[in-house]
Amino acid sequence: MTNITRPLALAACLGISTLALAATGPAQQKVLDQYSADAKAGGGAFAGFSAARGKALFLSRSATGKPDTPSCTTCHTEDPRKAGQTRAGKAIEPMALSVSPDRYADLAKTEKWFARNCDSVLGRACTPLEKGDFITFMVSQ
Amino acid sequence: MQSWLVRVWDLGVRSFHWGLVASVTVCAITGFLVGRQALDLHWIAGAVIAALLLFRLIWGFCGTGYAQFRSFPLSVSAIRQHLAQALAGQPERHLGHNPLGAVMVYALMTVLAAIVLTGVVALGGVAKQGPLAFAMPFADGRSVLSIHNLLAYALLAMVAVHLGGVVFESRRSRENLARAMVTGDKQALPGETAPPRAGRPQAAAMIAAGLAMVVVPGIVLLAHRPGHGVPPATLDAAYVRECGACHMVYPPSLAPAATWNAMMDGLDEHFGENASLAPAVAAPMRAWLAANSAEHWDTRAAVTLRLVDPVTPLRITAAPAWLRFHRSIPASVFAAKPVGVKGNCAACHSDAATGRFDPQNIEVPE
Repeated sequence: MTNITRPLALAACLGISTLALAATGPAQQKVLDQYSADAKAGGGAFAGFSAARGKALFLSRSATGKPDTPSCTTCHTEDPRKAGQTRAGKAIEPMALSVSPDRYADLAKTEKWFARNCDSVLGRACTPLEKGDFITFMVSQ
Repeated sequence: MQSWLVRVWDLGVRSFHWGLVASVTVCAITGFLVGRQALDLHWIAGAVIAALLLFRLIWGFCGTGYAQFRSFPLSVSAIRQHLAQALAGQPERHLGHNPLGAVMVYALMTVLAAIVLTGVVALGGVAKQGPLAFAMPFADGRSVLSIHNLLAYALLAMVAVHLGGVVFESRRSRENLARAMVTGDKQALPGETAPPRAGRPQAAAMIAAGLAMVVVPGIVLLAHRPGHGVPPATLDAAYVRECGACHMVYPPSLAPAATWNAMMDGLDEHFGENASLAPAVAAPMRAWLAANSAEHWDTRAAVTLRLVDPVTPLRITAAPAWLRFHRSIPASVFAAKPVGVKGNCAACHSDAATGRFDPQNIEVPE
């Protein structure tokens, strides 16, 4: 990278982060901070969360989870701003923070649902990076 | 031959008779044809029958001539004599009830009273409604309900015999007995007069009012007592929060303790999803479910749903009784919007949360 583009890229990154931060409440930021701390503690290079990766995870289909729940979208629909529906027929509040501002504010609750749904959809636990990416995507929506 | 009209059936007898015709008809239609959806109308008509019977009992002592029980006593010798005369083709004429008619009157009143009483017992035990709900176990209510049903068929047969008797006797004596029960009057022959006993309507009214003042509040008071085996439904807050996040909050009375234990054991494979709970949340919930399971209730739903499907014992909607209760509901109703899935009890049962599942609280969406 040249000397000129580097600060520009940095500025762009900061700008995007600031935008995301504007939508993120302090409670959500605490949850995200926890996941970034976990991601760093897990070793490997952690270079921040990505809404794009979170979106890809959200829309992906998996063959390794339980057969009735191949994707997040099975229950949450492909539009995070829309209400979803459980397989038992109950409405699920939209996932996007802009529509459901109370989401991702409680670490224990967030962890409970990641634990359940990552197992249901992927057949395994999600990594801190995946969780952070997922929330980052939902915060941007 | 000179003849004139004589008042045989007073207003009390006629009101009783046609009131009974109407209320028995309502009970028969709601009971035989409609079923449990019409339970309210059925028991209200039954209550009218009870009131009419009580009135007739009073009127049997306070009514005018032919209304009084002593004008048509149950007498074996009188029946024998009447039958002998009838077989000889020369039955004695009776302005009021003839001895066979008297048998029918008392038999009908007895059977009706038995139907009312068994109905109240069944309503209390099976539906946990009415004045005996506080005392009647479901199993007893169900047994008595079958007696109630048998008596209802017996009543149908008796009504048929009664109508046959009226037609036969009307033809034989060439007087329209049915019309006489409407107008109250019969053609009298020379020398025939109504017994001179006058009615005492004031006395009857006072007895009826006194009785009503005791019986009606008593019934209302009893009916407000909590039903036998119907504990007040207080749903555990954690249960409502955790389980209600994904599906209808099933009252714990809908499944036996073994089902709830197995359910809690297998939350990581909960109907195709992982629904695991933190041990600190799961343990008290498991205890609460066991303490409030179907074995601890005596409602129709709890008693019948204790028997689970051997293949999918955890699925309440696969229990034999569940399938039996819902067999008339087409699959399209469950699939359509307001219901969505079979397990969405509250879509049709507005009292699902209480565990009562009263027949009056069912409304299947179009």
